[in-house]
Amino acid sequence: MGRPVVHRSPMPGLGLSMGITFTMLSIVVLLPIGALLLQGVSYGAEGIWATVNRERVWKALYLSFRLSFYAAVFNLIFGVILAWVLARYRFPGHRILDAAVDLPFALPTAVAGIALTALYAPNGFFGASWTHTIAPALNAGLAWPEAALNVLVTGLGFEPWSLQVPPRIAYSTMGIFIALVFVGLPFVARTVQPVIHEIDREVEEASATLGASRLHTLRRVVWPMLLPAALTGFALSLARAVGEYGSVIFIAGNKPLVTEIAPLLIVIQLEEFSYDGAAAIGIAMLVISFAMLLVINLIQVWSRRRIGYV
Amino acid sequence: MSDLSHATPARRFRAPTEEAPLARWLLIGFVTLALAVLVFAPLIAIFVEALSKGWEAAWKSLFSREALPAIKLTLTVAAIAVPLNAAFGIAAAWFITKFDFRGKAFLITLIDLPFSVSPVVAGLCIVLLFGANTAIGAWLVAHGFPIVFALPGIVLATVFVTFPFVARELIPVMIEQGRAEEEAALTLGASGWRTFLTVTLPNIRWALLYGVLLSNARAMGEFGAVAVVSGRRESATTMPLKIEMFYNEYQGATAFAMAGLLAFLALLTLLLKTWLENRHAGELSANRRGH
Repeated sequence: MGRPVVHRSPMPGLGLSMGITFTMLSIVVLLPIGALLLQGVSYGAEGIWATVNRERVWKALYLSFRLSFYAAVFNLIFGVILAWVLARYRFPGHRILDAAVDLPFALPTAVAGIALTALYAPNGFFGASWTHTIAPALNAGLAWPEAALNVLVTGLGFEPWSLQVPPRIAYSTMGIFIALVFVGLPFVARTVQPVIHEIDREVEEASATLGASRLHTLRRVVWPMLLPAALTGFALSLARAVGEYGSVIFIAGNKPLVTEIAPLLIVIQLEEFSYDGAAAIGIAMLVISFAMLLVINLIQVWSRRRIGYV
Repeated sequence: MSDLSHATPARRFRAPTEEAPLARWLLIGFVTLALAVLVFAPLIAIFVEALSKGWEAAWKSLFSREALPAIKLTLTVAAIAVPLNAAFGIAAAWFITKFDFRGKAFLITLIDLPFSVSPVVAGLCIVLLFGANTAIGAWLVAHGFPIVFALPGIVLATVFVTFPFVARELIPVMIEQGRAEEEAALTLGASGWRTFLTVTLPNIRWALLYGVLLSNARAMGEFGAVAVVSGRRESATTMPLKIEMFYNEYQGATAFAMAGLLAFLALLTLLLKTWLENRHAGELSANRRGH
């Protein structure tokens, strides 16, 4: 009574296409990932925990996931605006902007890394004005709010907070943030843009006819339709940022405990031939990434169900 | 007879599905400025730095004894990895769209898996499977076919990170096109290969080219996965790795010259991609159309 795994079909090439698909999938993806998991199993949960549970590893993981989250949130907001402008408005230079959105996909990450570092280093085009003008001005402006805040904070018995911005963009967490924004830039825009093209304008007209303001229509009618695609883009952008290595290591300065990202720790462990250590951090990254993607997927399913829009 | 159009002053009608002109121009200005800072500025910076010592110096540094092998290796890797990827993409798309089987969604998830794995972790996985300290790796090294720290490892890492590209472009197009044309060809007596070559391939060629384009750009530019697998061996240094070496050896101009070459290739890729999107929109997957 069991259903066949593959239904009968007059199409030719079942064996060949299935063979190539499964052979390559196994050799390229499944076996290597299996090797990582196996290394983790032989190392044991305690071994993995002993590797991960060190200040340097925690700080690197926390830094990677925190900054990736910030960058993905930035890209979510900016990407939706970008998609809207590119899909709905026509203006001089539209096509150049539209093509430029994909540059982060096409440009090798190492190239992006040294380019961003050249721009944001203390002697770079943007970095110089930040270090000499913007950062001192911001810090001077923030001095008294910080003092006022800290009267309260220390009054409550906490350590004083710092609102000061770092004097440099490159070689600080701000540089990492900028690199992660760059590599994740196209994802949200490119997943949302086709959805905007497909929106039926009559829905917006109906909303307007019923007396909704434009802003109200955008918020209550258009945004819910874009949300699932925006979340997909957010998840892709986040996954990309968490794993990003090439562009970040140039701009980060790679100071242990401060600007050292998790993928770099894996590379350092491998250079020391500590395969167990590298595998432990790799597995920790995989597990956290998949947990995050699962949560995003669940939110997506929920929003689709609530809105009833595929 | 009064003409109503004269009764009201001429005022441009704003459709209820448009934003106010001011809001619109503010948004356009904001997006343009943001892209100028985020995307155009780095691009300009590459070429400014690359040409800081003049055209000739940049050109010469690309043809130096240090740089040339890296360029050659990158081209070799792409020349192997991209066709492998295209072959896999076509086979997977054929299998997924021409047959009905259980677990199709799961298979697609597995194919997409490399997108959610860090390239560094991908490289690590390959080292753990084929490294000289593993059973398979030791056997391969003993038989004169080392994978890690050599060309096969770099190719494998490159295929991993570009794995879904071609399949992802082909699957939606082939689903849309259905099976009727192939079924007709088969009914008329064409062989399987002939059906594929004369019916399917012409229908998917632009989508295939699109996937190959993306795959090639990533293959030539991959850094993290290749860095791990190459182990910083001089003989296994691709262009992106060479950029890092030059950069760390304070040969900034040389690093940027090579970066400029890769950036030029990236621009070429974008140009071709835009052309495909405009010219052959109907034959690409739906989300690539109508920008």
